[in-house]
Amino acid sequence: MRSLLIAGNVLRRILSDRRTVLLVLLTPLLFVLLYGTSFSSRHTHLTIAVVDKDNGLASVRTAEIGRVTLSVHLASRLLTAVVKEGFPIIKETRVEDAEEAVRSGGAWAAIVFPAGFSNAIVNEALRLGGERTMRFEGREVRLLPPETTLDIRVTLFVDDSNPLISSSGLAILQQAFSDIVSDQQRGLSVDAMLDLRPIYDGEITNLDYTAPGIIAFAITLISVMLTAVSIVRERTGGTLTRILVAPVRSAEIVTGYAAAFTVVAGIQAVELVAVSRFAFGIRLAGSVALVALILFLFVLGLQGLATLLSTIARNEFQAMQLVLILLIPSIMLGGVFWPPEALPPSLRALAQILPLTHANEALREVMLAGRGISAVTVELSALVAFAVATLAAGTWSMRRQLRRG
Amino acid sequence: MAEGVVKRYGSRLAVDHVSFEIPAGTVYGLLGPNGAGKSTLVRMLCGVLRPDGGRVTVLGWPVPSFRVQMQLGYMPQDVALYADLTVDQNLAMFGRLYDIPRGQIASRAEELLDLVDLRERRREKVGALSGGMQRRASLAVSLVHRPRVLFLDEPTAGVDLRLRNALWEHFRALDAEDVTLFITTHLMDEVERCRLLGYLHSGRLLAEGSVPELIASSGRNSLEGALTALLEEEGEPE
Repeated sequence: MRSLLIAGNVLRRILSDRRTVLLVLLTPLLFVLLYGTSFSSRHTHLTIAVVDKDNGLASVRTAEIGRVTLSVHLASRLLTAVVKEGFPIIKETRVEDAEEAVRSGGAWAAIVFPAGFSNAIVNEALRLGGERTMRFEGREVRLLPPETTLDIRVTLFVDDSNPLISSSGLAILQQAFSDIVSDQQRGLSVDAMLDLRPIYDGEITNLDYTAPGIIAFAITLISVMLTAVSIVRERTGGTLTRILVAPVRSAEIVTGYAAAFTVVAGIQAVELVAVSRFAFGIRLAGSVALVALILFLFVLGLQGLATLLSTIARNEFQAMQLVLILLIPSIMLGGVFWPPEALPPSLRALAQILPLTHANEALREVMLAGRGISAVTVELSALVAFAVATLAAGTWSMRRQLRRG
Repeated sequence: MAEGVVKRYGSRLAVDHVSFEIPAGTVYGLLGPNGAGKSTLVRMLCGVLRPDGGRVTVLGWPVPSFRVQMQLGYMPQDVALYADLTVDQNLAMFGRLYDIPRGQIASRAEELLDLVDLRERRREKVGALSGGMQRRASLAVSLVHRPRVLFLDEPTAGVDLRLRNALWEHFRALDAEDVTLFITTHLMDEVERCRLLGYLHSGRLLAEGSVPELIASSGRNSLEGALTALLEEEGEPE
C-alpha cells in the first residue's frame, strides 16, 4: 500500500512539471527519429565525380560475318544505375580534376572509365563465358571470344577516411558493376548459380535488424538514468530520510519507485515502438502483446538496477557515471549491431549477464521472425531472473546504506 | 533512551558510547559544536541510521519498529520537502505514509497551517516559498501525524531572529501538548530554553542535566563557564 503511495507521489511530481513531462515524451521521440532516419539511409547521397571516356562501342568477332561493332554504352548504363541509387554525379573531363575533387572533399569517389570500357567488358565476358548468339541486322550470329586479353580496368578514387561510409558506398557501386557484367555474361551470373531462399517473408532491412536493440538501448539509457538520478536526488534532498523515519520498509520504497518508473518507461517504450513502426515501418511480424511483455520485464529489471546504482552513488554526478558504465557494454556487447556469438568467448560471457542481450534476442525473435512465446522462454526467464535479482539487490543495498549511513 | 550507542565511520568514532534517558514530555536540548556527532545521534534515535553498538528505545520500544515510527516525528536540518509539490501536497503525502485517512489529513492540515502561519501559501509549491516559510512548512510536515516524540535537528540554524523566536513559540506550544522534543543546536542561548540538556563533544556526551544543575556542579556562574570547565577537564580547551 505504501509502495503505491510512493509510486503515486513520484508520478504526481513528474506530471506537475510540464517541462519534465515534455522531456519524458520528447527524448524517446528524438531518439527514434534520429536513429530511424540515419539507419534507413544507404549513404547514397554521396557525390561521385565521373570521367567518362568510354565511346560506348564494342568490336566483336562473329563466326558468320567477321567483326561487327555493337553500340552498347556500358559506362552510361552503369552511371544511370548509380544515379538511380541516389548518387549525385559531377562530370569531369580530366582524371586529375576528378582525383582533386575527391581529395578536396567535393566528391566521395571518382570513377574513370577508359575509352574502350564497353569494348573490353563485352569481349572479356565472351572470353570467360564462351560463345553466345545474338541477332544482328536481322540474322542470328555467333559471337566469338577475343584472341587477346583486354584491359577492363576502371580507375576508382575513394575517400576512405570514413570506412563505414566508404564500404557502404563501395558495396552499392560493386552491385552496379556486377549487374552490368552479369548482363553480358548471363550464364555465369551469381543469381543464376545461387538458389536463394530467404527464411522470412519480405525484405528485412538493416533498420529492422537493429531496431529491437536500439529500442531496448534507448529504454535503458533514458529509464535507468531517470530512476537512478531521481532516487539519488530524493536522498540528497533529505526527503528519503523523511520517508524512512515513517513506518516504511526499504522494500516498499524500492517497489514504489520501480512501479512509478516502470509506468514512465512503459509509456516511453510504447512511443519508441509505435513511432519506429508507423514512421519508419520497422518489421513487427509477431505478437504486440508479447513485445509488450518482453519490454515490461526488461524495464522492471532496469528499475532494480537503477535502484542498486542509486544506492552506490553518493550524488547525481556519480549516478550518471555509473549509468554510463552500464550503457557502454550494453551497446557494445548486447547484440545491437552484431550478434553476441561474434564476440570473443570472454566477452560473450559478459554479454550474457547484460539484460539488453536477452531483451534484444527476444524482441528480434518476435519482431523479425514472428515467433511465439515458446521460442523466447529462455530469454523471458533470463529477464525475470534479472528483475528479481536486481530488485532484491536494490532493496538489500538500500537497507545496507541505512545501516552504514 | 540511548544505552551505550556507538557509530563508527571507518576508523573514526562519530558517536562514542552515548547513554541518556529522557522523561516523556520533556524538552531536551543536545548542545555541541559542528561535527560533534549530533546529527548522527539524532538519525540513530529516529531509526534512519543503525548504531554499530548499543541500544536505542523510544517510548519503551526498540528503534526502528513499526510502533515507534508511528509515534515519532523528525525535522531534518535541511528543509527535506518536495520542492515541486505544494505545502498541502507535501502534508498529504507524508500524512498518508502514516495511514492517516484523507479527511483527517485535511483537518490536521488546517490546524498545522494555522500553527506555522502558512494558510495563505498552502497551495504554492514549496520551492517557491522563502527559506523561513520552507522551514515552517518542514515543521508542519513533521507534525502531521501528531507524533509523541519529535526530533529537531538544528531547527534554527541559519534563520533570522524573528523566525527563530517564532519557531521556539511553536516548540513551546508542542511542549504544552506534552510532546517530547529533542532539539540539537550549537547555540548556547537555545539550550537554556530547554528543561534538560546534554553536551556532546567529539561523539561523547560530556554532561547531562538541567541548566542550573550543570552550573552548580561546575562551580562556575554561567552555562558557558560550566561547559568550558568540562572541556578543561577533558584537556581540550574549546
